[in-house]
Amino acid sequence: MAGDQTPQPTGGPGDTPPNAGQGWTALTYLIAGMGVWGFIGWLVDQWLDTGGIATGIGVVLGMAGGIILVVRRLGTPT
Amino acid sequence: MNGAANVLAQGEAAFPPSVEDFYLPSIVPWGAENSYWFTKITAMVWLAVGILIIFFLASYRKPQLVPTKKQWLAESVYGFVRNNIAVDMIGHAGVRFAPYFTTLFCFIFLTNLFAIVPGLQISPNSHIAFPAFLAVISYVLFIYAGIKHHGAGKFIKNSLIPPAPWYILPLLIPIEFFSTFLVRPFSLAVRLFANMFAGHMLLLVFTLGGFAMINANALLAPVSLLSWVMTIALTFLEFLVIALQAYVFTVLTASYVQGALADEH
Repeated sequence: MAGDQTPQPTGGPGDTPPNAGQGWTALTYLIAGMGVWGFIGWLVDQWLDTGGIATGIGVVLGMAGGIILVVRRLGTPT
Repeated sequence: MNGAANVLAQGEAAFPPSVEDFYLPSIVPWGAENSYWFTKITAMVWLAVGILIIFFLASYRKPQLVPTKKQWLAESVYGFVRNNIAVDMIGHAGVRFAPYFTTLFCFIFLTNLFAIVPGLQISPNSHIAFPAFLAVISYVLFIYAGIKHHGAGKFIKNSLIPPAPWYILPLLIPIEFFSTFLVRPFSLAVRLFANMFAGHMLLLVFTLGGFAMINANALLAPVSLLSWVMTIALTFLEFLVIALQAYVFTVLTASYVQGALADEH
């Protein structure tokens, strides 16, 4: 997208903004978010014997975190 | 065909192909059971290294203004990686990474290509060790480039702390750490490995499946023929995967280097 403020390369102006890696980055954030916090939730589950509730909360939190990261890192800054 | 069918009858290539089929016998010492220092896979890696060194040395030994065919090929490969990967992803600062990207691209492309070269027909990259080591090299490269450009503290701060209010940082930093420092080398290695492994497996299934069917019942011969036709079609598909995976690996490495060099915003 033309309005994207991707991290600018170290070269001068007129460089093509590197967009090709962004799809992978976004995908990684979304999956990693669920994975990391889901895992932490699962650990809490094992510890407190909450029977999966903590895992669920973790996955949802992780999704939210992943979305925030995508917006913050790849979206247009305010 | 008869010879291959005999091989099949002797049980040397049992039909449902398994992971065992990826572990080729030892060459030096010949047929040894417990020494796998030099197999066909090892030979192919050295062959790829040799071919690349000789090709680039030979094609650039006497560079001419009007390039010869070989020089044109070498220059196009380098030009493609430099302009369409390094400069496109990183910008002008990417030119100094272009030699590494070109080497990476050529090496992966050639070792992948061995999967469909008659007589070789297995890619070293279908063993996780080779993609894993390539991924480690890229991983070290982008971390080193980032630390050299920003200094260790600022690099870690840049890559771990996203621009966000402080109260959601505890939620985000583990995700950043996981996706930047753990997932990246892993996904690089597994993507290449799984593609080459699955490609080889697919070709094995269709080739050996044809023999298994014709051996089971002569009436199944047309189906066997179809299976072999499919093998040929899949070989072309495999070529697409080969080129694509070499490209993807290089592009992602370039993207990681770009991320490491990027300034804070």
